Amino acid sequence: MSKKNLLRVLIICCPLVGFALLPPTNLAQKSQPAISFEQAVLPVLTDYCVACHNEKKPSGGLNLTTFKTAASVLEHRDTWERIQQKIQSGEMPPKGAPKPEAAEIKALGKFIEAEFERADQNTKPDPGRITARRLNRAEYNNTVRDLLGVDINPAEDFPQDDSGYGFDNIGDVLSISPVLMEKYLTAAEKVARTAVYGAPVMKSSVVELRGQGRKNAPSFTPPTDYDATGLSLPNALHVTFRFPVEGEYSFKLHLNGQRPPGSAAVKFALWVDGKQMQALDLDPEGRASFSENKQDFDSNTLDFRAKVPAGEHWVAASILNLYDGLPLSFKGQNPSQKPEPPLPVFKLREGVSAEINERRKKLFDEKMKEQAPVNTVRVSRVDIGGPYNQLLGATLASRKKIYTCGHTDGHHQAECATKIISNLARRAYRRPVTAEEITPLTNLVALAQKKGDSFEEGLCLSIQALLVSPHFLFRLEQDRPATSTASNEIGYPINQYELASRLSYFLWSSMPDEELMRAAEQGTLRKPAVLQAQVQRMLKDEKSRALVENFGGQWLELRKLESAKPDKDKFPEFDEYLKMSIRRETEMFFEGIVREDRSIVDFLDGKYSYLNERLAKLYNLPDVKGPEFRKVSLAGNSQRGGILTQASILTVSSYTTRTSPVLRGKWILENILNAPPPPPPPGVPNLDEGKVGTSASLRQQLEEHRKNSTCASCHARMDPLGFGLEKFDAIGAWRTMDGKFPVDDTGTLPDGRSFNGPDELKTILKADRDAFAQCLTEKLLTYGLGRGLERYDKPTVKKIAVNVAANNYRFSSLVLEIVNSLPFQMRRGSLKNYELAPAKIAEARTK
Amino acid sequence: MFITRKKLHRRTFLKGVGAAIALPMLDAMTPAMTAQAKAPVRLAFVYVPNGVVNIDWWKPKGTGKDYEFTRLLKPLESLREDFFVLSGLDDKNGNALGDGPGDHGRAGASFLSGVHCKKTSGADILGGVSADQVAAQLVGSKTRFASLELGCEDSRTVGNCDSGYSCAYTNSISWRTPTTPNPPEVNPRLVFERLFGTADLSLSPEVRARRAEYRKSILDLVQSDTKKLVTNLGANDKRKIDEYLYAIREIELRIAAAEKDNRQITPGIEKPAGIPITFVEYSKLMCDLQLMAFQTDLTRISTLMFAREGSMRVYPELGISDPHHPLTHHRNTPEWIEKVAQINTFHVKLFAEYLQKLKDTKDGDGSLLDHSMIVYGAGISDGNKHNHEDLPILLAGRGDGSLKPGRHIAYTPGKPMTNLYLSLLDGLGARPEKIGDSTGKLDYLTGLQA
Repeated sequence: MSKKNLLRVLIICCPLVGFALLPPTNLAQKSQPAISFEQAVLPVLTDYCVACHNEKKPSGGLNLTTFKTAASVLEHRDTWERIQQKIQSGEMPPKGAPKPEAAEIKALGKFIEAEFERADQNTKPDPGRITARRLNRAEYNNTVRDLLGVDINPAEDFPQDDSGYGFDNIGDVLSISPVLMEKYLTAAEKVARTAVYGAPVMKSSVVELRGQGRKNAPSFTPPTDYDATGLSLPNALHVTFRFPVEGEYSFKLHLNGQRPPGSAAVKFALWVDGKQMQALDLDPEGRASFSENKQDFDSNTLDFRAKVPAGEHWVAASILNLYDGLPLSFKGQNPSQKPEPPLPVFKLREGVSAEINERRKKLFDEKMKEQAPVNTVRVSRVDIGGPYNQLLGATLASRKKIYTCGHTDGHHQAECATKIISNLARRAYRRPVTAEEITPLTNLVALAQKKGDSFEEGLCLSIQALLVSPHFLFRLEQDRPATSTASNEIGYPINQYELASRLSYFLWSSMPDEELMRAAEQGTLRKPAVLQAQVQRMLKDEKSRALVENFGGQWLELRKLESAKPDKDKFPEFDEYLKMSIRRETEMFFEGIVREDRSIVDFLDGKYSYLNERLAKLYNLPDVKGPEFRKVSLAGNSQRGGILTQASILTVSSYTTRTSPVLRGKWILENILNAPPPPPPPGVPNLDEGKVGTSASLRQQLEEHRKNSTCASCHARMDPLGFGLEKFDAIGAWRTMDGKFPVDDTGTLPDGRSFNGPDELKTILKADRDAFAQCLTEKLLTYGLGRGLERYDKPTVKKIAVNVAANNYRFSSLVLEIVNSLPFQMRRGSLKNYELAPAKIAEARTK
Repeated sequence: MFITRKKLHRRTFLKGVGAAIALPMLDAMTPAMTAQAKAPVRLAFVYVPNGVVNIDWWKPKGTGKDYEFTRLLKPLESLREDFFVLSGLDDKNGNALGDGPGDHGRAGASFLSGVHCKKTSGADILGGVSADQVAAQLVGSKTRFASLELGCEDSRTVGNCDSGYSCAYTNSISWRTPTTPNPPEVNPRLVFERLFGTADLSLSPEVRARRAEYRKSILDLVQSDTKKLVTNLGANDKRKIDEYLYAIREIELRIAAAEKDNRQITPGIEKPAGIPITFVEYSKLMCDLQLMAFQTDLTRISTLMFAREGSMRVYPELGISDPHHPLTHHRNTPEWIEKVAQINTFHVKLFAEYLQKLKDTKDGDGSLLDHSMIVYGAGISDGNKHNHEDLPILLAGRGDGSLKPGRHIAYTPGKPMTNLYLSLLDGLGARPEKIGDSTGKLDYLTGLQA
């Protein structure tokens, strides 16, 4: 291989990948085949291949003797893509068989690539067709929020959306079942009533929640440096709870554990979403207790109250300044002001035998020897009760969005119905609506009034009808026949409202706002300056968080964190708080790149991150205090920087009990280089896990594994990448030993480049940033379009990746390139013969 | 997180530990039953993932009535007379048949359909109509819900689920059409709401009736609106809108059925708050909800997946912190084999408790179990070998006399699993000609022999 770069090796090695094939650098070399098929290809096949791939013995189902002409390359393009990959990667001819010269391989590759390119140039650009997309759960929630000011996540009750091509917004895959329809009807009623009348009155009830917190390991000397908020200590309680409505809630904390006598009162704090809501003191001294020389918190409770908005929130309870307020003799910070209580003295009991008193004395002395540890007090349970003083009536936000007729507090005239509903329908359907569409909706208002119900009740009905209409639930794009075949394109530009919707669901997972609608209405949205300004505005808007949550959550597999359960014995410190923190870090990192329009290369090696105290502790970084996340510079830090070193990614790419260089390597191939390895062949022996860390290091084990030639070709690509991250354990903490063995994080890639540790690995990945740009382009384009990519999208992907590179890899340039691309702006006409393609290609992809 | 409800009322506890669920109070059920004289037959499928650790640890020695219990079946010993062990049944379409790896995806998709599903992770999933849905389509209209699909594992998975097979294949054993899986409902609260409604019972009957009327007007409106739409759509879009229209029509049918059946069903429990943290409580709650749905005759057909095929669940209650699926590829490590055996036995134990509850629940002239046909099993035989022949299958209940359980029947190897379904559907009064790869009905279930 002449141009030895990682990318080439990784990507070409990967057999059977539908399309991410060659680095963009190769694209520029537009050259006509200087030599013929007969010169460049046929001799190689004859000399090195047909011995195993012939009519009688078609190894792997491949008979090469039928490929005799240049025409066969395009006739059997899928097969030739595979042949090309196998030969270029060195996978074929197999080990031990004679191999062609490097120059021969190069010439063959060049010829085939040129043939492919020639074919692509002669095909008309095809924008593809996106099947009507049903709103997925996230989109539904956001859309009703923006449409009616109702932020109650109704889609939480919907069945899981199916995903395809790695994302859950793919039109073809999103189906609608009677069960879902039933939920749409229920949700529509709930949303409409909440919008018009406010949240329903809830009866108060109590729910008991136990955290996964544990006791602190008992200690008798206070440390000088510790988390003063107590949130990151094991004895804190962290739970997530779905609050049905906005209102006041009670929080009864159940306590246990002990403190030395004479300690000052303990301060307990209640936190919601990382914000301290209230702190209360408790001094158990003098309360009934079975302990003589301890403060006992067992079966004590404390009552808190806080106002909480509806929806799921992180509730935490911790002890503030746990190691403060101890008696002077402990030499801790801010010692207790109480006088040290005198030690209890043994008293002889009268009227019993000396023998009994002797026994009592012995027991007493033993008890006195048991000192109370300074840190075992903890919150074991919280009972959340409520809501109390629930906020009643429609919110101002909802009223503003509904009553466009003026008077937001009633007194509506007949013409109001038409005005209000026309406005809502236009926004719900995300396009202009006709009078014909409005009449049946206003008829519902009339119907309600005729039956003796109020105007508002009627309004509720028409809102319900809007919310279950296919025009709301689906993003329908108007179908038109293909434009004249004389043009070079086989599609037509989608209309501006459709474009506005594509934009807003891409970047916000929600409906277009008024500004986008207005631009569509005025017909200015396609003007380059307007479009660019809109995209930049949208990325800066807080709503672009949806892009991070939904695209990022799936691309980076962050959603898998929800079900991540690292082994409790091996990783006792992995609690809810840490889990929330590691996810937040990566989300904020992504958000930073979006909002500050940074280079996408930051994903690979941004020398900064967003940390709170809990996470900084995991990363061994001092001086980050408190639960709030803040940007922290990582300049000069050789361990951290970029997503590959973030605990979230390191956790989702590990097993529950140990790291896996294979999984991590696979993660990088799939998500950074878009070159997923094929699934392992059946009957492959697995790793002998029992031995890891005891009789052989994981690395030795894997090297053993790779001696098997069936495994070697793929693992030679996966494992080294993973080895580079071996100094991060299965939850992302730094380590130098794995069991009894020192960790070796060196590696050599199949192209010969080697590295020592994560920093050098990232240097190599950064050198191949164009491969990463192409990978991210494909992922984001798939997500933005809501369909899988096809062969005809290849030129689009290449073009975008090249232009992004030319724009210093700015995130906004990637988004803009996608937004301006052919498949995003256009739609293929509905000529029948174009409808078949997707299924066929999907088949090819998975074969 | 541990969730319990504090405020409880009118509870009648069922037998068994942790069965904190009460029998529903039926205002109108008893008269209905006596009038009808004959209790309906119910059909349920309980699915377990990843096969069993070793089919010989499952399959009893000896056939007929005097067979010996194996380790994995031990928890069922006290129910010996109430179920069959059926061996020799195959799910041949779970095999690769040239499609390469992906036995879990195929097993989930073919277990109830007998159809070899298409290998795809994307747009074009294609399986077959599952036995429960064949039944639901033929006799489901007799109840408020044609069928009920339940699961005990939240399937929030992204991407491929098994070697290029869509998650739809591993998530759902129930398929309404070859392209439409019925994903199981995994949240007990939502199952409850579906069965017993979200209607605000504090409203007066008149207001509730009026709202039901309004709902119908809304459905009429969107339906006529949509029909206009269909004419100018491309083929793929049209398919989506057809799905939508189908769903609307289904709901209209359901409303019509509910109008005929105007019993006021008051469940005897408070609405569950969410998903219980331990698997024991979770699966029991789901079993209880299914039992309630049968008991109240809201449906007669149900599927329940203890976990998704290929499940990665960990079982801390058994002291097992390794995920299930990797454990099943045990490479003859004794500790791993032991753990898988424990998981298998645990599932059987939960099933036994469920059967016991069915047996303890009075239904017409006998017990609910007398009138049920419950299939328990997996689409993979040996979880390590990934084979789909000689599956671990149990069949419980008497199907109102159509089944004579208490025996181990060993069929001649090669019988399709779907033959069993064909026989069972018979007992339900549904008589399809064929289900997937079925070749005819199964012998001996009525007790002629073996």
